[in-house]
Amino acid sequence: MVQHSVLAKAEVEFEEIRKFEADLELCTRCGFCTFWCPVYREERVESAVARGKNMMIRSLLAGNLGYSQEFADRLSKCTLCMACAANCPVSVHIPDVIVAARADTVKARGIGFPYSIIYHWLLPHRRLFGNVVRLVSFLQGIFLPKSEGTIRHLPLFLSALGRGRNIPQIAPKFLRQILPVVNRPPTGVATKLRVGYFTGCMTDFVFSELGKHVVNFLTRNGVEVVVPKEQGCCGAAVFLGAGDFETGRRLADSNLKAFEGIDYVITDCATCTSSLKDYVRFLADTPERKEAYAKFGNKVKDISEFLVDILKLPASIYQVAPEVRGKKITWHDPCHLSRHLEIKDQPRQIIKSIPGVEYIEMPDADSCCGMAGTFSIYYYELSKKIADKKIKAIFSTGADIVVSSCHGCELQLIDGMLRNKMPVKVMHLMELLR
Amino acid sequence: MLPSETITQLKRIIGKEGVLTTKEDLNAYSYDATSVWTHMPEAVVLPTTTEQVAGVLKLANEKMIPVTPRGGGTSLSGGPIPIKGGIVLCTTRMNKILEINKDNLSATVETGLVLQDFNNALSKEGLFYPPDPQSFLSCTLGGMVAENAGGPHCVKYGVTKQYVLGLKVVLASGYVMKVGSKTVKNRTGYELVSLFTGSEGTLGVITEITLRLLPLPPARKTIVVIFDDMVVAAAAVTNILSSGVIPAKLEIADNFLIRRIEEIMPVGLPVEAKALLLIQTDGSPATVEADSKQISSILKRSGAKEVRVAKDEAEADGYWNSRKAAQAAIYSTAPSVMVEDVTVPRDKLVEFIQKIEEISQKYGLVIPILGHIGDGNLHPNILTDIKDKENFAKAKEAMAEIFDTALTLGGVISGEHGIGLDKKPFLKKAADPLAIEIMKGIKRILDPNNILNPGKIWEEDGTT
Repeated sequence: MVQHSVLAKAEVEFEEIRKFEADLELCTRCGFCTFWCPVYREERVESAVARGKNMMIRSLLAGNLGYSQEFADRLSKCTLCMACAANCPVSVHIPDVIVAARADTVKARGIGFPYSIIYHWLLPHRRLFGNVVRLVSFLQGIFLPKSEGTIRHLPLFLSALGRGRNIPQIAPKFLRQILPVVNRPPTGVATKLRVGYFTGCMTDFVFSELGKHVVNFLTRNGVEVVVPKEQGCCGAAVFLGAGDFETGRRLADSNLKAFEGIDYVITDCATCTSSLKDYVRFLADTPERKEAYAKFGNKVKDISEFLVDILKLPASIYQVAPEVRGKKITWHDPCHLSRHLEIKDQPRQIIKSIPGVEYIEMPDADSCCGMAGTFSIYYYELSKKIADKKIKAIFSTGADIVVSSCHGCELQLIDGMLRNKMPVKVMHLMELLR
Repeated sequence: MLPSETITQLKRIIGKEGVLTTKEDLNAYSYDATSVWTHMPEAVVLPTTTEQVAGVLKLANEKMIPVTPRGGGTSLSGGPIPIKGGIVLCTTRMNKILEINKDNLSATVETGLVLQDFNNALSKEGLFYPPDPQSFLSCTLGGMVAENAGGPHCVKYGVTKQYVLGLKVVLASGYVMKVGSKTVKNRTGYELVSLFTGSEGTLGVITEITLRLLPLPPARKTIVVIFDDMVVAAAAVTNILSSGVIPAKLEIADNFLIRRIEEIMPVGLPVEAKALLLIQTDGSPATVEADSKQISSILKRSGAKEVRVAKDEAEADGYWNSRKAAQAAIYSTAPSVMVEDVTVPRDKLVEFIQKIEEISQKYGLVIPILGHIGDGNLHPNILTDIKDKENFAKAKEAMAEIFDTALTLGGVISGEHGIGLDKKPFLKKAADPLAIEIMKGIKRILDPNNILNPGKIWEEDGTT
């Protein structure tokens, strides 16, 4: 009996890691990941890279390491950019194991203040979250110089307040306060499809203008857009970043409920898209959840993928927004789009279809910008170093505008441009379109 | 664990950021790219300058603490495993290119520079550094020199030692010594550059390297050849080499590898094929054209089933990427893999491959073969499981028999991976006893306290 309970404890202790054990075992320690890892390339220390983390987790399972603060720290030092996995000769997905190990670490150690408050209490409650954002916005107006740009998640925002990051303004009115739940195509335009719009925290609280624009673009092209008020945060910072799977499930379940009966769920943020699709991989703890999360994940589409592959809009639809006319444009691949979802061509196709702009590909367009949500809170100095390489690549193109479609990347790029006093404007893909 | 006073001293030399002591961090320096060797260090230092390296060695020498140098940690012989504990001296933060001199066709680099980063910088200048271990994405130049590393290019261009002109080396005492020069020729007494090249971190810590470069060949072509039989393929290789044309690369893989490649990164190889030769020619466009034609026709006459010339660079890259992934592809098929590095004179290749196939059958073990067949260097990989005692014992016997075969044929037990931990029980068989005594004598002169990478190359007998 005693032995049985010890075994049971061991199984619970490594419950999430065990699900990805195949990846753990497959790593052959060849070290190729060191070449691609943005964190390793800055730090040149083995615990930064997939191989080192893999070996640490193996040692944890073998009983040679425990869930120490040091262990948790090394786990959090990963942007989950997936460059290691994409270039691994045997396709080992160590980032999955890292997320799972973060979850088991949280179960063993809990989440420290103040993040515990934010993850458990704030992010799952959208109205309350909104009020706090509003309050912080008010304080920002008093204490801080206003800057152009965006914020990503409230925890990041709060933390960034003290660390000199260039912080954007909160929208004067949140998207949810502006948009009706149902947005129909204008009279004279036939309804081809009905979709749900997952706004994410950023579009809701900061980029409400972008949100309005996305809805207008879709309705003008025959898409009825439903914006359920019950939707919440995608949970990226909660379950992928912090490993809080329990709160992640609460967010997932309420998002599923909000979009019940809708065929497509559109997002304009790569991190949201990929996180919503990741529910099934990480959070499905019952057969019911597994089925529901898989079904939901399949409905979720990135905006560029939706326009190009599903709506199949003709190139002539993509008309240039007046302020973008005649500009040189380069595209930054968000990791969550290019490697997590393998969406690389669609956004480029859209940009190249826009008349009157010049497209220039930047070197290593798909290399990580170093944002990665909570990663950039814990390791802002490191995050800045990774960003500076990206900024250099953008600058080498001579582009006027760098375009992306992940609000996390956009925040990082804006901060990078301002810090480096670069004149390049950061825009969302949809902002290029009239 | 090292006394806290020593840790404090190390931090004073290197700075807090460059000294790792937590269990988690030490764990990440307990392995290399072999599948069976691990040992925890007691501290890891990440110096950024030669002076810091000197400071660490001086301290370690006074306190008799073992120091194991480590670059990218891609060794296939256990070289950077801190088998005696002590300090791992990791060079990855010393990764600057100090000079690329196009007029002298040379470059001076810091020891921790990654080969691919070096190659990227060189190709911008139209320059070429040929040695190319397939760990080029992660191995460091310092590690390459310490192991005298090879790779596919060596059939035509030779190994690392043919390119090392000068070194800055920190001796065990902390003394910083320069050997060699920036010149192509240098006859100043004994060849100490060659002594440190291939010394496996046991004689000194290399901190700066001056390398000879070549102009980047303007054209390249890749030829893929399929055979029904490994032995026939080996015979074809001899036919090519004796015909007066030397390809830039001449690689072999067996059916196991072909199937595995098609599994993990399909490049359109017939999975039933028994042998694959992957060949690259380089030089001026005219030379490449002529060489490729000559090689293709020899191959057809030598019994090749299919000779395919890659249409473009993308197709060629696909084949070479699969070659790069081959070692990992094998490793991922068994819990433990003994990767061998035997090398024989090239007129003995047919016999050698026959013998390896016989050994595989005799022990009932799967032994995939890949390697740089053009220079006689093969990597038979014995698939086993260290936890399965009986199987592991058989694997060790098979390994010993492969070594014996290579030696009987006039070959060597390691062509490019080094002896390290993996092959030290076999050194006695592979070298003259007096030669081993001379090696130990050299070690005693340079490192009297035996602090530098102790426990490697030869088995200890109490005299060192």
